[in-house]
Amino acid sequence: MMSASHTPEETKAALHKVVTEMYDKIVKGEAPTMTLPVRTKNNIGFDNALGVYKYGKKRSVRDATSLGSAKQLLRALHVVEFIEEMIDARKSSTLREMYYISESWGLGKFSSQNESNNLAEDLEVVTKCLREDFKLRPEEDGARMIGNLTLRELNRRGEWMRINARDDVGDSGYGVPYNVEEEKIELVEHDINFIMAIETGGMFDRLIENGFDEDYKCGLLHLKGQPARSTRRILKRMSEEWDLPVVVFLDGDPWSFRIFASIAYGAIKTAHISEYLATPTATYLGITADDIEAYDLPSDDLSTRDVDALKAELSDPRFADAWWQEQINMMLELGKKAEQQSLAKYGLDFVTDTYLPEKLADLGLA
Amino acid sequence: MAGTAERMAQNQKQVAISEFFEKNKHFLGFDSLVRSLITAVKESVDNSLDACEEARILPDIRVKITKVDDKKNIIELQTEDNGPGIPKSSIEKVFGQLLFGSRFHAIRQSRGQQGIGITGVVMYSQLTTGRKTHVRSKIATETSAAVVDIGLDTRKNKATKSNEDRVLWELPDGSLKEHGLEITCRMKAKYQRGRQSVYQYLRMTSIVNPHADITFEDPDGEVHHWPRVTERLPRKVESIKPHPHGIHLGTLQRMCTEATDNRMTSFLYKNFSGVSTRAAKELLAAAEINEKAKPKSMKADHYRALIEAFQGERLLNGKAVKLLNPPTNCLSPIEELLIKKGLSKTIDSRFVTTMTRAPTVTQGNPFQVEVGLIFGDGMAADKPVEVLRFANRVPLMYQQGGCLLTKAIESVDWRQYGLDQAGGRGVPKGPAAVLVHLASTNVQFTSEAKEALADNEEVLDEVRKAMLEMGRGLRKHLEKKKKMAKTQEKFELVNDIIPAIAAKSAAILGRPVPDLAGSITKIMGAVIAEGETVWNKETKQTDVAITLFNYTSRARAYTILAAWPEKDGATMEGNEHGGRKEATGVWAWKLEALDPGQTFTITYSLSGLEKGDWTDTDIFFRGSQDVIGATKMDEKLLEEIRRQEQVLADEEADDETGAENEDDASDNDVDKAAGEDEPPRAGGQQTLMGYGSDA
Repeated sequence: MMSASHTPEETKAALHKVVTEMYDKIVKGEAPTMTLPVRTKNNIGFDNALGVYKYGKKRSVRDATSLGSAKQLLRALHVVEFIEEMIDARKSSTLREMYYISESWGLGKFSSQNESNNLAEDLEVVTKCLREDFKLRPEEDGARMIGNLTLRELNRRGEWMRINARDDVGDSGYGVPYNVEEEKIELVEHDINFIMAIETGGMFDRLIENGFDEDYKCGLLHLKGQPARSTRRILKRMSEEWDLPVVVFLDGDPWSFRIFASIAYGAIKTAHISEYLATPTATYLGITADDIEAYDLPSDDLSTRDVDALKAELSDPRFADAWWQEQINMMLELGKKAEQQSLAKYGLDFVTDTYLPEKLADLGLA
Repeated sequence: MAGTAERMAQNQKQVAISEFFEKNKHFLGFDSLVRSLITAVKESVDNSLDACEEARILPDIRVKITKVDDKKNIIELQTEDNGPGIPKSSIEKVFGQLLFGSRFHAIRQSRGQQGIGITGVVMYSQLTTGRKTHVRSKIATETSAAVVDIGLDTRKNKATKSNEDRVLWELPDGSLKEHGLEITCRMKAKYQRGRQSVYQYLRMTSIVNPHADITFEDPDGEVHHWPRVTERLPRKVESIKPHPHGIHLGTLQRMCTEATDNRMTSFLYKNFSGVSTRAAKELLAAAEINEKAKPKSMKADHYRALIEAFQGERLLNGKAVKLLNPPTNCLSPIEELLIKKGLSKTIDSRFVTTMTRAPTVTQGNPFQVEVGLIFGDGMAADKPVEVLRFANRVPLMYQQGGCLLTKAIESVDWRQYGLDQAGGRGVPKGPAAVLVHLASTNVQFTSEAKEALADNEEVLDEVRKAMLEMGRGLRKHLEKKKKMAKTQEKFELVNDIIPAIAAKSAAILGRPVPDLAGSITKIMGAVIAEGETVWNKETKQTDVAITLFNYTSRARAYTILAAWPEKDGATMEGNEHGGRKEATGVWAWKLEALDPGQTFTITYSLSGLEKGDWTDTDIFFRGSQDVIGATKMDEKLLEEIRRQEQVLADEEADDETGAENEDDASDNDVDKAAGEDEPPRAGGQQTLMGYGSDA
């Protein structure tokens, strides 16, 4: 297993390269610049060696010839300086804290939280470092996990704790921390056959209440909508280190398709670290477009935003295979979407007694 | 018998008049407590303005409203003017009779044609509080003022007088009032603020009567003052004879029966405008009336035939009889500059554009349209623009939606001129106010309420054209503002951000701060001119600063030219860089070569102007490389302006004994020596500006 993290020296050197690009341009009598990969679906391609989608070769140059981009460069410099200070002081901060700290940066101050998040990502992309290297924490916490699997976590007192995610936790499960790298989490052992990632808390709790994890010997992972990086990272680690199949159980709508793509193939925004976050072996379990018809599920009409999202997915390279094209076109044709919990139409046990066993049987997992 | 019949008729009329008031309160403007007060102020102030105008007096008008009994809504209204006053013997006629006065017959532009007059106020006061109206009147030829309480005997349709006296009218400063009129009355009414209020009415009145000084003391004791902005009285309007296109059957009938002319030809020629002797003959021929027939002998069929001939419905040799247009000297427009001053006085703003269209004619009635547009940050950006409507200098405050003037504004797609307008229809939104004034001898309203102008194709067209013209001016202003904002951004970029990037990157890398000149030149790559025109409160001058920045990699030399309001009587002071006069209203400075990265600033002050007269200075340049923020001088145009000036100067040269040289300019000014102290009538600056913003 390769490690995602860099040493403080490597991180600083990478950041200095960004600063040097600006400095050298001024020395040459030109407008300072920052060069970074284009971060749209038009610039991601499948990396055969890694099995995930990565940024392509398209580069964009942000130069200081307009007030807006010049301010971006100045902000980047402030962020670099801030990161260096944190590395030296062995501190870390959340992205939100950095946003507030920027209040004192004068002209380099952020005008929105979104701006500071994007800039942190920009720097990750350019330096190929992770924000953990930058000592920047995301605001969102990780997901919840339940099942007969055991791991060790380094707690804040510096002790390794052994935790079984079935016996040592309450009904809410094991909370995944924001850092799940080896220095923090060690995967010890398990007695499960596969891992199921679930979109909504309601469905996660339903499966627990119905004892599904025990009946089907599986680990359940609650994604909380669009999964945080740590959620995707731990899913990948379990899948790789324990060689377990991963199935993904989501709502049946265009946004769920995107969640799946970010889990299995890599997210567009984080394509620079897809090899650390994506789980290429993950399988989409449902709700599929044909489930809506096959199970006669209660459904809603697609909104215009839904339709636009589906059409955009048709030209997204991550959905280029025949199965996805068929699913997307089918949903467009139906003009319908359905939630996971619409399965309750047939009673509370239908999902665990009928739907999931049938779907898992198709995959040879039940 | 005849006496009885006459008396009966008289009685009927008396009943009709007091009932007429009761029944038609809404038409007369007394339908609500709020509106009654506005109408009372309006009748009184309109009278004052009209009287002053006729007597050629610059009006000073004072309006005071006091709450007498808040619970019962009793209000005292007092208005005072410095007009000619009314002779004692005429007071009861003026105040006590409905429809008194000559203006209902005269054809000319007057304010008064829009109400029943001050008698309505007297009647309303009496009906609602039982109190008489107190009048104090002083005429110039008498030492004392006449005071009298006026009431109405509605049965006899006559004024009643009481408490008549003569007093000395002392002013607060102890002096005696020369002439003027003061009216005090109590009525049931309500004072309210807002769009439809006495305050708004007086504010609007002051905009279109820039020659008037108006003071308003509201019920809270707050004093609002709209000062006079011009000493020029409105042009004295002439009465004109009716034009055949605008005449009705009844009027023609009355004119014929009252005529003293012997023949129809001379009757038509003498009593109508636009009718030549030839046209008179042709009209009679078309109507098949004998030229020699007496006007008094006309019969019903004749009237009808003549009206048809007037309207071009009866033809002569297959053609309608051609008539001349009526004269338009019966109109008194406010005129562009005064509207500008009026608007600027009540609304603080950076941009005002105004326009007075040439007079024209609809259905035999001369009319003229004037518009103004004021735009600025002081007004709400997300609300519909304020529409200020006027007919013959009288504000129209109600029924905005149904008014022709509003429809004309709505018919313009304001989006192309930089205002918000949903679907390109309706009153646009934005920080602006639009003024429309219709001056006409015969203002047509949608109803007796006289608050909205009736549809009229020609008037609409005129207003629309004027709006489009102003819209173009607004667009230019906004484009210029946008350009300036962009330039401002560039300045921030090179003056603040780039130095910060250099300093910060050097600090992180532990290297020396690099020289920025190269980067800045690369980023800007231009010469930039920045003008600042600000009113200096202390010195009462308009201070102008023009700065030239060379952000290119080469040294550059320019001549910078600036427009200034020379023909408005301004003088230039503190101009340390000298330069020379290029033409009236255009000054030029030839600058030394400016090295890369260098700046140069020209400063001067303008005296003899008021605040808001000159808020923006157009900058021009001569030189090969473009200057951002300035316009390349059009030499041909400048030549043309100079030539026009020369012509004017030559015309006046006969009267001139010697040439007065301009102090600053005489050294360089070799080709023009004489007569420059007399500003030319053709506006050099205006022409130049017109070109400058188009380019």
